[in-house]
Amino acid sequence: MNSASILFNGKARAVATAKSVWRDWLRLDAPVMTYVAKVLLAEIMALWLSLRFEFDQPRTAMMTVAIVMQSRAGMVFSKSLYRFLGTLVGVVVSFVLVSLFAQEPILFLLCMAAWIGFCTAGSMVFRNNHAYGFVLAGYTLCIVGLPAVASPSQTFNIGTTRISEILIGLLSASLISDVVFPARLWDVLRDAVRHRFQDFSSMLREALGTEAGSGATRPALTRFMGDILNLETFRASASLENDPSRLRRLRLGQLNSGFLAVATSYHALERLLYRQQRNGRLEVAAALKTCYTPMGDALVVEGRSARNELEARKITSNIKLYAEALPGHLASARNRLQNRLDATAQLDFETGAELLTRFVDELKTYLSIYTALNRPVATDRKVAGQALSLRMHFDPLAVALSGLRGALSLGLLATVWIITGWPSGVEAITLGVVTSTLFATSPSPTHTIRHFIIGVIIATGMASAFDFYVLPQVHGFAMLCMALVPWLVICAWMTTLPSLAIIGTSTFINFLSQVGLTSAYSTDPVLFSNNAIADLLAIALSGVMYALIDLSNSRWSHRRIAKALRRLMVTACREPLIPSRYRLEGDALDLVQRLGSLQRKVSAQEKEAVDWLLSTLEIGHAIIELRKQMKELTDVALLARLNDCLDRIARLHETPTVVNHDNAVQAIASILHAMEDIPAAMALPHATRHQLNTMLHFIHDALLDEESVLYVSTPLIAEEGSNAA
Amino acid sequence: MPRELAVLDALVPTLMFAFLAAVAIILALDMAMVRFGLYQYVWYPALFRLAIFVCVFSSLGLWVY
Repeated sequence: MNSASILFNGKARAVATAKSVWRDWLRLDAPVMTYVAKVLLAEIMALWLSLRFEFDQPRTAMMTVAIVMQSRAGMVFSKSLYRFLGTLVGVVVSFVLVSLFAQEPILFLLCMAAWIGFCTAGSMVFRNNHAYGFVLAGYTLCIVGLPAVASPSQTFNIGTTRISEILIGLLSASLISDVVFPARLWDVLRDAVRHRFQDFSSMLREALGTEAGSGATRPALTRFMGDILNLETFRASASLENDPSRLRRLRLGQLNSGFLAVATSYHALERLLYRQQRNGRLEVAAALKTCYTPMGDALVVEGRSARNELEARKITSNIKLYAEALPGHLASARNRLQNRLDATAQLDFETGAELLTRFVDELKTYLSIYTALNRPVATDRKVAGQALSLRMHFDPLAVALSGLRGALSLGLLATVWIITGWPSGVEAITLGVVTSTLFATSPSPTHTIRHFIIGVIIATGMASAFDFYVLPQVHGFAMLCMALVPWLVICAWMTTLPSLAIIGTSTFINFLSQVGLTSAYSTDPVLFSNNAIADLLAIALSGVMYALIDLSNSRWSHRRIAKALRRLMVTACREPLIPSRYRLEGDALDLVQRLGSLQRKVSAQEKEAVDWLLSTLEIGHAIIELRKQMKELTDVALLARLNDCLDRIARLHETPTVVNHDNAVQAIASILHAMEDIPAAMALPHATRHQLNTMLHFIHDALLDEESVLYVSTPLIAEEGSNAA
Repeated sequence: MPRELAVLDALVPTLMFAFLAAVAIILALDMAMVRFGLYQYVWYPALFRLAIFVCVFSSLGLWVY
């Protein structure tokens, strides 16, 4: 009996272990294997179709599959669309250029450099796949136009064949990703949104336990900012996917901007609590904290953060109750403080109370959008909020420099080609232009290009083995597929590993570009080595170009970003039309994202840029609120004084010197004083005056924050200013 | 119908125009299906879309030939 139960237990345990192993496999390994199988299927489909239609270079179609294949269907669709559009434009431009300059290689190359420079510049202005389309329009000209220098009559054929081959690759990739075990973006988006909410509410609860503003929440906040932009990218791709994500695109956008608002307000509130603690106003901080603490309990479901929308619904009702009780909490705290504190400390408390109320309001809105995420779409109209608007970003210097970089690589390689009469010059120019334009928008081009070179070396080895030992033995399509499969599997698998992703992609693309999969088979070791040398040389050159013209990682570029962020503040202060909050926040995030600092571990310099971002979000919002309240004012004298204040804040952001800093702080302090005496201010409705007071006080305090970047970097910049003068 | 059409003196197969027309029709149909929530009655929307596309494109092709 006993031994039987032991036996039974052992069996049960074995079953349980097997089950958990199976579950782990399903969760971790199965998606990777499915993806590799899908890539294989798409590759073989592209190969078969191109051979069936008798195109010259089936490898172009296969390369296209390797380039656009991604794990999620929506991303494949959007990349495919822009690859197609970019190629189409590039081919048409090549036709025009060849018809104009077929007999004049120098003029032809000059025009080509101009076009490539233009396209690279375009890729810096747009984002994601739009940028990719621009890059393609640029380098397609090399692929189609350059061979035309030798034989102009072939251009039309080369162009149409290239479009057809690419189209076949795109269609195979899209079809396979859509039909075979489709992995939808929606799942990623939903998981991302759920995780974010879980993380955020955990952060809020933990922050309650610790000293406010100790900096513990900073990495989390930075990560959230990065997440917001990633979600925007996914959201843009999701529009082409046909399932729930497309239906809920608007809602996801609202969710994203709602989250940004909550995170910003939270940051402002946290800084405020911290400043009060440090300035010795412990009573105010403690009073605010008593009002804030019940929120921790409201955010809990069964002792932990909510995992999905259903649990969040419960939290929504909790938070609603808390929000209703909040004025009561605040009033009782106010009563307790009233007799013990002076006017400034009371204003401190009022500012904190205002921020807390705003934060809770925003949290409520965010929660209501979040819980509505899974509800039927017909109720969409009811959800309030505006989607984050990310605009085109035009930075003339960055655009000009990256355009110059593309044109310069072309010029150098073309010169070498023309002078030496090197047979693989075309190959070198093409790859040089591709690499020196394609990676311009990556967060760290030098790093990317180093990995890319490793990929090229691996690919060259693989391709030479395949071309000279395997391919001659192959007879018939079935054998070709069998011979290709192991190589393709290795490449596709490498692309799925995060640490090898760039190397893998590079290996995949270069392997396919170097294998002898052309319609007429030829093994020519001399040509092969010539091309391999050309590839390496071209990439090395663009590596040098990126190192010389470095826009992403230098002290200089971080300073420029900080300056651009400050300029945003200046427009927020001065522009006649008050910018919307979403606009300001979107623009600020976008600037820092261009730096790539939100995605990776940050160095000290990049930390400064992120500091500027947080400062911009913190003060910018207060300024916008202030200006909104100012619209209700009618008294000319008061308005003039407030405008003067704004002007000084703007001047401080233009040139952050000690003098300007003092000027701004003093102006705000004096107007805060005056609000008590000026009859016009006294005559204002209570709510308006209250808002004006608290916002001014908030800006005043934020400017005086000794740890804020505005304060820390002021003397430094002042020094530079005097040096320059 | 002629098998090839001359576009700016380049001969383009009529099937290509049929393909483009089929894509346009499918996009319109797809939008309508999403708008009225008809995909919830379909087991596998992606396959369904592909099948519809094949039907439309083939019928246009038959009309050309």
